[in-house]
Amino acid sequence: MVLTRFDLAKYPFVLDAAEEVRRLDLDIGNLENPALKAILDRAENRIEEALRNSPPEVSYRPREEDVEIPSFPVAVILAAASGNDYIKRRYALAEAIRAYKLLQDEDEKKVLEIAKVFNWNIQNVKKIIGHRRYDFALSFTDFLRNAKLFHEMEWKLVNRMLVKGKVYLRQREAARLLQEEIRRRIEERLRSDVRSMLPEPVLRRIDDLKRKYASRIAKAQFQDFPRQVVNEAFPPCIRMLYDAAKSGQHVSHLGRFTLTSFLINIGMKPEKVVDLFRSSSDFNVRIARYQVEHIAGQRGSRTRYKPPRCETLKTHGLCPGPDDLCKTIRRPLSYYGKKTRTLKKEVSAN
Amino acid sequence: MDTKSFIQKRFSEFYREKASDIEAPRLIEQREFGFLLFKGNVMVRHKSFGTVEALRSFVKQIVPAHAYYSTAYYEAPEEKMENKGWLGADLYFDIDADHIPTECGKIHDRWKCKTCGFTGKGVTPETCPMCGGKTFENKTWPCEVCLESAKSEMVKLVDILVEEFGFSPDEVEVSFSGHRGYHVHVENEVVKELDSVARKEIVDYITGVGLEAALHGVGTRSHVTSSGSSGRGFDNIGWRGRISRGAYKVLSAATEEDLKNLGLKEKAVEKILSNKELILKTWERSGPWQPIGGLSKDALQAIINRAVQNESAKIDTVVTTDIHRLIRLPNSLHGKTGWLKVVFPTSEIERFDPLKNAVAFKKGEAKVYVDEAPRFRLGEELFGPFKHEKVELPMAAAVFLLCKGAAELVE
Ligand code: SF4
Ligand SMILES: [Zn+2]
Ligand SMILES: [Zn+2]
Repeated sequence: MVLTRFDLAKYPFVLDAAEEVRRLDLDIGNLENPALKAILDRAENRIEEALRNSPPEVSYRPREEDVEIPSFPVAVILAAASGNDYIKRRYALAEAIRAYKLLQDEDEKKVLEIAKVFNWNIQNVKKIIGHRRYDFALSFTDFLRNAKLFHEMEWKLVNRMLVKGKVYLRQREAARLLQEEIRRRIEERLRSDVRSMLPEPVLRRIDDLKRKYASRIAKAQFQDFPRQVVNEAFPPCIRMLYDAAKSGQHVSHLGRFTLTSFLINIGMKPEKVVDLFRSSSDFNVRIARYQVEHIAGQRGSRTRYKPPRCETLKTHGLCPGPDDLCKTIRRPLSYYGKKTRTLKKEVSAN
Repeated sequence: MDTKSFIQKRFSEFYREKASDIEAPRLIEQREFGFLLFKGNVMVRHKSFGTVEALRSFVKQIVPAHAYYSTAYYEAPEEKMENKGWLGADLYFDIDADHIPTECGKIHDRWKCKTCGFTGKGVTPETCPMCGGKTFENKTWPCEVCLESAKSEMVKLVDILVEEFGFSPDEVEVSFSGHRGYHVHVENEVVKELDSVARKEIVDYITGVGLEAALHGVGTRSHVTSSGSSGRGFDNIGWRGRISRGAYKVLSAATEEDLKNLGLKEKAVEKILSNKELILKTWERSGPWQPIGGLSKDALQAIINRAVQNESAKIDTVVTTDIHRLIRLPNSLHGKTGWLKVVFPTSEIERFDPLKNAVAFKKGEAKVYVDEAPRFRLGEELFGPFKHEKVELPMAAAVFLLCKGAAELVE
């Protein structure tokens, strides 16, 4: 089965974006061409929908293939050019949720077609086992790659029907897993740096969007970490600094900054952070409190500082060597976010 | 000659003749190798070999007490861990008597807390009940009963890997560890790139951790389907089938004592026992999915929990999730026994006799002073029990006792 233009408007991510842009003569430098205004408007609107809607979701506009299809790759370029992690993540998620909703009621053959684009090993089944009806059978590796970070017990492999390497799924579940795959794929595309290639007016659009949603973006930086500090979820670098500070060893200035900003950002009370440095030989309550409160954004610039990126920590010798999870992240806070989510899943599983 | 040099000399003779039995793991050039030396208990890690000949002559030359290689594939196996460049890893399972509680384990296994000196028998605890310490010295014994129970765990594991995970029996390589357990090794392109989190999900599947019976149909109404037989779930593959068959097994074999051990109250036990035949009849028809007369919801759940426990395979969870693990090299000697790690086909599991097939030293005798050793078998011969006595033994038995630290060499 071939996907029609009608289908492609629903699932534009299956196309090779560069190809699509070329086909329409949509070269990036040419985006301000008035003929392409409708496409550019819709592209911007896709991102805006992602930022505005909660949960994030891009709308579906049937019968507008000529705008819907090309506006997706353009939106990807715009989101990438924003250079903002929050916008990128939010946009990828919004497109993925849009696809999820459409896929739930999609023709089964088309669901298969889209899954195959991502090289999924999946088949149609029509089975009733026990009290359940199943529509698809998906290889357990494809299942795990996408479901491993879901928290709900029904997504644990042990709670699935697993037969000869295949996990049985209902269509809604297959769509949910595809959402995850799509989100990841779009996020990958958003990594490239395209800013320097875009003309001034286009860049202005992105920056305007950023300004318009500045407060939302800022608020989102306070990620929803667990209310209680989870020491076991510290990345190796923080673990090392934490232990050193606790045992009164000397911690460099950047080390202190990193540790303090990390702990504040994951929700530790400033007084507690101050206490942590008490055993250090040059401890001075007044100065320590001042520094911690400054980093916490309670003084001076009023901005809350975030710990440096891994790259910076590595060049300053503060990274003791990344572990496996480190390889999937670029800043210690994301490590913590991911780890707490996995730990939570483990606890609920025991 | 001291005991250690004696063992090393035997190992050396063995490898001079039999190092050629060591085979190259798949993609040998991408694997890391590690060797524990007799001298000073030093671990030589981050070794890599381009060919199996190079590996064999290295083993012959250094004569290790233990030889390992990585389940992982690396771009540069000889580099430090952070620079190795992880390319993937085989799926690996370890079943060790250390993790399976047995009756005899309480007699022949001992542990001692390294922090406070507290001692106990049976399976080593995770933390010392006295001081909370986490490191222990163990004295364990590779007894026949324990080896058998490890084997039956392996049988369950292999069944799950083939029936549920869909690996072909040829992809699943089983082996005797050379000490107290078995290993199961899956080399397969699709599992190679799974990270630890995904591997943890596989582990949880196999051990039944996080299993919610309700998600497999317990407590659901419409359990009898139009097709009839699938309602009871006996022939279902996966946990649904295991729960259904396992619960039936638990109940049909249950004595009063067994049911009490499930934590059921006297009244409930009585009720179940007097209705047992009826309950089993119902289960044969429509499976253990609903509480019925004589069997309360809680009692059903208790039976199912036990079924899950019985049907899961007791693997060492850490080994499988560790994607940088070093594992024992097949056809190498185990320094704690002088036995071989032996690979064998899954079709041979029933017939495999570790105490015969893993024997390496077949020539000569040695005189040893045995401190203490329970009765044991090697091949067709029985030895012991020994206590504070001098005996002359065939080489395999002597080396075994020396390796276990149960005996000293007598000049
Ligand atoms: S890689 Fe990043 S998160 Fe990991 S230890 Fe280094 S600095 Fe910390
Ligand atoms: Zn202790
Ligand atoms: Zn035993």
